[in-house]
Amino acid sequence: MPGFDLAAVLGNPAFRALIVAGVEITLAIFVCSWLLGMSLALVLMVIRLTPSRFGERFVAAYVSYHRNVPTLVQLMLWYFGISTLFPDSAQEWFSDHNGEAIFAIIALGLCQAAFFSEDLRSGLRGVAGGQSEAARALGHSYVGSMRYVILPQAVRNAIPALVNHTVSLFKNSSLAMAIGVAELTHVAREVESRSFRTFEVYAVATVLYLVVSLLLMAVGAALSRHYRLAAAR
Amino acid sequence: MIRFDNVNKWYGDYHALNDITAEVAQGEVVVLCGPSGSGKSTLIRTVNRLEEIRSGQLVVDGFDIHAKSNTARELNRMRSRIGFVFQSFNLFPHLSVLENIAMSPMRVRGVKREEARATATRLLERVGLANKAGSYPAQLSGGQQQRVAIARALAMEPPAMLFDEPTSALDPEMVGEVLAVMRGLADEGMTMMCVTHEMGFAREVADRIWFMDAGRILEAAAPADFFGAPKHPRTQRFLSDLRAH
Amino acid sequence: MAALYDILRDNWLLLLIGQYPYGPLGGIAATLILSVLGIALAFPLSVALALARLSPWIALRWPVTALVYAVRGIPLLMIILWTYFLLPILLGHVVSGFATMLCTLVLYEACYLSEVVRAGIEALPKGQGEAARSLGHGYVGRMRFVILPQALFNMLPSMLSQFISTIQDTTLGYVINVQELTFAANQINNQLLTQPFQVFFILAITYFIVCFALTQAARWLERRVTTRRLGTTAPTAIPLPTGEELA
Repeated sequence: MPGFDLAAVLGNPAFRALIVAGVEITLAIFVCSWLLGMSLALVLMVIRLTPSRFGERFVAAYVSYHRNVPTLVQLMLWYFGISTLFPDSAQEWFSDHNGEAIFAIIALGLCQAAFFSEDLRSGLRGVAGGQSEAARALGHSYVGSMRYVILPQAVRNAIPALVNHTVSLFKNSSLAMAIGVAELTHVAREVESRSFRTFEVYAVATVLYLVVSLLLMAVGAALSRHYRLAAAR
Repeated sequence: MIRFDNVNKWYGDYHALNDITAEVAQGEVVVLCGPSGSGKSTLIRTVNRLEEIRSGQLVVDGFDIHAKSNTARELNRMRSRIGFVFQSFNLFPHLSVLENIAMSPMRVRGVKREEARATATRLLERVGLANKAGSYPAQLSGGQQQRVAIARALAMEPPAMLFDEPTSALDPEMVGEVLAVMRGLADEGMTMMCVTHEMGFAREVADRIWFMDAGRILEAAAPADFFGAPKHPRTQRFLSDLRAH
Repeated sequence: MAALYDILRDNWLLLLIGQYPYGPLGGIAATLILSVLGIALAFPLSVALALARLSPWIALRWPVTALVYAVRGIPLLMIILWTYFLLPILLGHVVSGFATMLCTLVLYEACYLSEVVRAGIEALPKGQGEAARSLGHGYVGRMRFVILPQALFNMLPSMLSQFISTIQDTTLGYVINVQELTFAANQINNQLLTQPFQVFFILAITYFIVCFALTQAARWLERRVTTRRLGTTAPTAIPLPTGEELA
């Protein structure tokens, strides 16, 4: 095997452009699906907090589906399956406007919402029982006690789990390659097949993934240190 | 100020509060004592409707707090006018000490931030914790946390304060500092209902002592009469058990 | 609904065992074999990794910690590509997709499982190790007779959870043409072409049924473990993590 030659990969402007584009798409998918997932998770939490039994069952079923079906299969079902259920005009629009990326974001976001809502739910359960009583005794309404006392603590409790799932979401962006999205892993394969510099290309992609993952983990650790709620009696 | 009229409460089949009729006058300090399970905590928790009652009437400062017709807003407003101090303090761990005290006047009453913080600082001085304004509850001892909890309740300027075993969760050496704050409140004329086992406090500060057992108030008397010449045999037995150790 | 039944009726064998005997074993059978072998081989490795991370020697602790962080920070797909590339070079001959996937899974699941084992060991009261030491047990004896039996029993529900994750991770074998269930479903779809939604719906439901049943088993197991351990060790409410949740 010829010696390690990073310049052959990074020095080549065409390859460099491809890799940069791949990173951009990976980050775009990550950020969009995170936002979708978090917003939806908050909606699911609100549904869960209403006294309706149907709401509780619906959210439980939603979470169960997304936890038990592999993420790759969810992606395939959305892109290969559900997309065909749309009217033809919509399908044409999708294929003209990066349909693969859109469906990847939808699938990943919906899946992530399930995990985030479970994290928030455990965070909520971790809030001491006397807290809501103390808030009500001071005259806060239900909404007020949630807003100023319960939810701030629930979110702080949930931060470690939320960070973990955020890192997984970032890694799951690579799954989009299976439905043809030109994210970083897909690009790595492409550059590898054109340059034959498998080791170097994979190394570049690996380092890029690692840097972001470790960065996310470090931010998460800093956040949970800052907001650590030592158990008050 | 606080009037109980034939108040009854059941937990399933268990008659937790049995036809309670009593009154706490304005400026009066009433201590509730009795064996565990007697209903004293339950009774005090009905005053700000943390517990529901099945029948009877409970009027606090002219407001029928258990009326079915109360709206949520009216109930919350009434609650904000009754101070409640918990056995387990229940301070808000995500807020600093100052914020714990200032937050509720701001969010419930709409008090401006500067004014709320000024009041909070003043109350912290009053309970002797002015230097802890920026600390978080987890950094405080039990006695300090409970004093902050009292300041938090006082920030809402209640005409009456309820204490549910405020010193029972404290190490012995910290009980005194909390009782001192409560005594100060009593001296200023605060209407207080207090569930406690601290008989020394009862003897010196209470205007009347209510002895409860099995959901009834068996005896209600001034401390001199209560400790000196208890009428009910159950009271006599309770007091002699206390003295035994 | 009729379409679903037709697809199942025509293709159930493919979904179940792939193209066997006209090809390698595939379908659900391959998925389950891959998962079971993967977790079985990963288990001893994970215990070794966990003990290495808890050992007092930096020369052992740091490389293993770095490895675990690396594996946790890189997408599984990327690791599969690496293994696909490196394994033939290391072994000197061509390696099948199945073997590649198996090796990747063993490494990947071992790293995640080692976190579970480590948590289980650290959750035991310190008194257990101290009692063992004062009775004269050495390190190996302590681990073998006192610490590990308890820690591993306590972590059974989490390990079952990791097994469920492994089943879900096998789907990535599709990308390197491993003949497991997802690959079989794609084959069917490429033949039929007209009913993609039905095919992938069947795929999703199949995984759901398998994983849901195992999740219920894990919950039952957790209840059994907690009640049995209530007497001897402090009850620790260990939530059921999936692979990604382990910190």
